[in-house]
Amino acid sequence: MLLQMDNITKSYGSVAANSGVSFNLQKGEIHALIGENGAGKTTLMRILYGMESPTSGEIRLNGQAVSFDSPAAAIANKIGMVHQHFMLFPSFTIAENIVIGREPSKTVGFDRKKAIADVDALSKRYGMPVDPAQKVEECSLGVQQRVEILKVLHQGAEIIILDEPTGVLTPLEVKELLIAIKELARQGKSFIIISHKLQEIIEVADRITVLRDGKVTGSMNAADTNEDELSRLMVGRELVQLTRKTAAPGKPVLEVADISIRGNRTKPTLDGISLHVKEGEIVGIAGISGNGQSELIGAIAGLAKIDSGSIKLLGQETAGASVRTIRERGLAHIPEDRYQWGVAKDATVTENGLMGHANKQQKYGLLRGASIREMVAEWVKRFGIKTGSLSTKAQYLSGGNLQKLIVARELAQLTPFLIAAEPTRGVDVGAMEIIHGELLKKRDEGGAILLVSSELTEILKLSDRILVMYEGRIVGELASQSATEEQISILMAGGKRHGKAETT
Amino acid sequence: MEKLKQLSSSLIQPLLAIIVGLAAGAIAIAVVGGNVLETYGEMWNGAFGSFFFVTNTLSRATPIILIGLGVALAFRAGFFNMGSEGQMVLGALSAALTAIYLPGPGWLKLIAALMAGIISGGIWSAFAGWLDARFRMNLLITTLLLNYIATLFAGYIVSYPLKDKTGSAAMAQTVMIDNSAWLPKLFSGMSLHAGFLIAFAGALLLFFFMKYTVKGYEIRMLGGNPLFAGYGGVQRGRMMMLSMFVSGGFAGLAGSIEVLGTQYRYIDGALTTPGYAWSGIMATLLAGSNPLGTAVAAILLAGLQTGGMGMERNTEVPLEVSSIIQAVLILFVSAKITYSFIKRKKARGDNGTV
Repeated sequence: MLLQMDNITKSYGSVAANSGVSFNLQKGEIHALIGENGAGKTTLMRILYGMESPTSGEIRLNGQAVSFDSPAAAIANKIGMVHQHFMLFPSFTIAENIVIGREPSKTVGFDRKKAIADVDALSKRYGMPVDPAQKVEECSLGVQQRVEILKVLHQGAEIIILDEPTGVLTPLEVKELLIAIKELARQGKSFIIISHKLQEIIEVADRITVLRDGKVTGSMNAADTNEDELSRLMVGRELVQLTRKTAAPGKPVLEVADISIRGNRTKPTLDGISLHVKEGEIVGIAGISGNGQSELIGAIAGLAKIDSGSIKLLGQETAGASVRTIRERGLAHIPEDRYQWGVAKDATVTENGLMGHANKQQKYGLLRGASIREMVAEWVKRFGIKTGSLSTKAQYLSGGNLQKLIVARELAQLTPFLIAAEPTRGVDVGAMEIIHGELLKKRDEGGAILLVSSELTEILKLSDRILVMYEGRIVGELASQSATEEQISILMAGGKRHGKAETT
Repeated sequence: MEKLKQLSSSLIQPLLAIIVGLAAGAIAIAVVGGNVLETYGEMWNGAFGSFFFVTNTLSRATPIILIGLGVALAFRAGFFNMGSEGQMVLGALSAALTAIYLPGPGWLKLIAALMAGIISGGIWSAFAGWLDARFRMNLLITTLLLNYIATLFAGYIVSYPLKDKTGSAAMAQTVMIDNSAWLPKLFSGMSLHAGFLIAFAGALLLFFFMKYTVKGYEIRMLGGNPLFAGYGGVQRGRMMMLSMFVSGGFAGLAGSIEVLGTQYRYIDGALTTPGYAWSGIMATLLAGSNPLGTAVAAILLAGLQTGGMGMERNTEVPLEVSSIIQAVLILFVSAKITYSFIKRKKARGDNGTV
């Protein structure tokens, strides 16, 4: 056994991020670690990589007990990690990024020629083509991912940890990456892949370990399992089927006609998008993140300027209007990134809940304190938001509870139209059911909802109609009754056949 | 209970800063051969030792409080207004000129002069805000540099066109304001004047405004997370102009009150030499931008300064010791600012708004 992590426990105060987790890895193996957000995958890997120290438990490398107090120590023991967010210097060349920290040197200076030659040799040896002299900022995300892996290989890693490696990649890049990983494994490198994309995992991994609430709930060979079993292990029970009435769409609430945002790349970020959402329907937008969904949400909510086209809310043009005007006319918005857009971390639960309500909760410009606290207290009760008190700072709430607060706040705006962007990202199953239930309730009461989600299951579960976005365009519309995940993924991949990666 | 905890944790830092500051001062006193306890005793006497000294300290604290309040408001909205000095000087000049040249009864002159001071300080500050909104010019830099323009402009005005030529001394100053337009002294024979009450009311008002009004809420959220505020419909541009105007208005008021309550004319350098503006900024930083805390910190800093003078009068220890204490306070406070700035930057990723 190359690597063994035995009985790892990591507690933060009273919260155990990992409790008694055991995990192992053989040479040349690809071992996937899956679980919902907050299940403890990343914590476990941070422990292995020396970024955290375990509260208890033991790590053994080739049978020897080891403990790393820093990533440098892990790297010295041939463990490398590629983080979810790339850690590259954009204005440096690929070669410079790869050799950083162990640069070849001439008598005094940096030996650029040798660095380029080294990187070239490395890239040939592992079959990952890159141009060493190219600047990283000019590379696609797929190439950047390759650079990250080459960097780790250059450090001499035998065990490579990949944290959500496919999150930002296009389907083609994903395919290339999976092929490259398999090839490296064949050459004897071992991989640990953190992911929640079951399809890819089953395709690439040899073994799969599932974590839930910091505990291992299953470990099996990839060949012996399927997506259903894995999601059951991740979630802990069969998912309850939400009962949903048939949609009875009424008048159009949101009408988007031919909007475009040119963007600063060669391709426009939004390219002639048209869509509408009617009363009493949920329109789902599926797509790999980064295909223009954020810009579309921004444009509708008034946070991003569009270059052409028209956006009508309840028949009134809103393109170019201020966020305040649009909100007053009838928009509520569950933002995609809750920390960036959804809260002020240093403000209290009450203050965060007040956003967008302040103008209704006032008299002569004075805030109605008692009435505001009553309102927020009611949400806390209804959504089961776990918080010390109403004056606890938002930063002390867990992601899921914060998300519940944001959802409650936006639903309470009682607007005819709601944007729900990744409404359940990172929340636990219980919260997810509450949020899904509330969204369906709003729809049944005649609300119009635009749901943007990168989780296909969520899209399929909630939407009445499904639109698929790819590279800033809407590439397909499906009725949710007849849509299948297969169909949607093909469209998400740009209409290309999204089959199994072939080893060429 | 939780509130109590938050309150105490917000008090620990400034208290620690003060203790370390005093400790550093003690070392300095020992080095120059003074008796630490005796020296600090004299310092205390000089600042708060008798009714006279207390009023003297409060009088010095008055402009510092007002400046601190203005800076606190801008900080809360997420903007670094380093231009208090220029805003104060322009406010003082406008107030002096209004009181001197406006015809009418004294009370009218007084009120008009105060208004003029607020408005000119406010406009000068809002101008920097406009440069930021319109041309993306960094507020920190513009407010800082606009200080020079303001103080040199005011210096020119009282050195040449509007110089007082009646007196024999060749001072760069305006003529005296008619005493009907003076801010009344609170106690006869003492320097404390009605401006202190204005500053005190200002602190209460700002505290109330920030905590209980819709606009105050929006300003706080803007400072807490500008993206969140924008997402929720707070109009950043408008709130920025408003908070910069009010911030500069406080500084302008500070200048006006000094002119109308203490000097009765605009004297070149009389506001900049004592460093009121920088003491005000320090008071804000010490108090973590809490309006009431800012007022307390301002009085404390004024006490350090007046106490330092008392110490110099009565002991062999030079005035610079109180500068050392202040310098250590600044060090501590700036460490705190840098720390929270880095934390904010980290939290916000590369979204450049400060």
